[in-house]
Amino acid sequence: MNSELFTLTYGALVTQLCKDYENDDDVNKQLDKMGYNIGVRLIEDFLARSNVGRCHDFRETADVIAKIAFKMYLGITPSITNWSPGGDEFSLILENNPLVDFVELPDNHSTLIYSNLLCGVLRGALEMVQMAVDVKFVQDTLKGDSVTEIRMKFIRRIEDNLPAGEE
Amino acid sequence: MAVCIAVIAKENYPLYIRSVPTENELKFHYTVHTSLDVVDEKISAMGKALVDQRELYLGLLYPTEDYKVYGYVTNSKVKFVMVVDSSNTALRDNEIRSMFRKLHNSYTDIMCNPFYNPGDRIHSRAFDTMVNSMMMQVC
Repeated sequence: MNSELFTLTYGALVTQLCKDYENDDDVNKQLDKMGYNIGVRLIEDFLARSNVGRCHDFRETADVIAKIAFKMYLGITPSITNWSPGGDEFSLILENNPLVDFVELPDNHSTLIYSNLLCGVLRGALEMVQMAVDVKFVQDTLKGDSVTEIRMKFIRRIEDNLPAGEE
Repeated sequence: MAVCIAVIAKENYPLYIRSVPTENELKFHYTVHTSLDVVDEKISAMGKALVDQRELYLGLLYPTEDYKVYGYVTNSKVKFVMVVDSSNTALRDNEIRSMFRKLHNSYTDIMCNPFYNPGDRIHSRAFDTMVNSMMMQVC
């Protein structure tokens, strides 16, 4: 798919949301929600196409996300850094973010998290493989930072949907 | 290199105009305004068939005592006008051409910014920086 078309489509989506909602927080929430809905579907496609098995720890999950998932869907490979000592938190550093190719944030949208959809996607996808995570942007090139950084924090394994009596 | 750079919409109202701060700004507004007639003339002088395959760069529109005015028109009829000091003889046609090309690319990027509504005045840091870099090189 043509990358300009993709970027412009996402741009149109975000600006429409900005028109529909009065403040940026609502837009951020809405983007996250849409991302979540994409994530819960996308994970099926991802598992079917990539043939990766179950991850044994969070570090492996991080690798799969950065090296396979991002590569497959966005054509970029973010680097993984800033592991917390407990190994339950890391950062994805995006050198360039294809979603923001032409974008310049206007001054009246200073709190808008333009690419917040990505957070929702990651959260939704990992939830479907029994991982509750917290995902948020901590740096963004749109806001003048030199790189875009997504922070992911492992919260817990979701085990409640195992049918009783099994295992 | 340039002392004034302007972007004019299809309907001939300014989208962006910027000149070196040391000089009288209004004078450049007049110069650019006057040049629009020459642009129209140049386009209409070409036959209908030629308009479709013409070059975007129009070349020197007209020289005045102190300045030279160059023009460039995109296929969507957006006009770029550049005023250059005539004492600056080092500037070749080719360089002007490549400056216009740069300007055009930059303008395209702005159009692709989802927060920019086509037809509005251009307020963009990236565009400002680019235009500044073109005006700096003279001094």
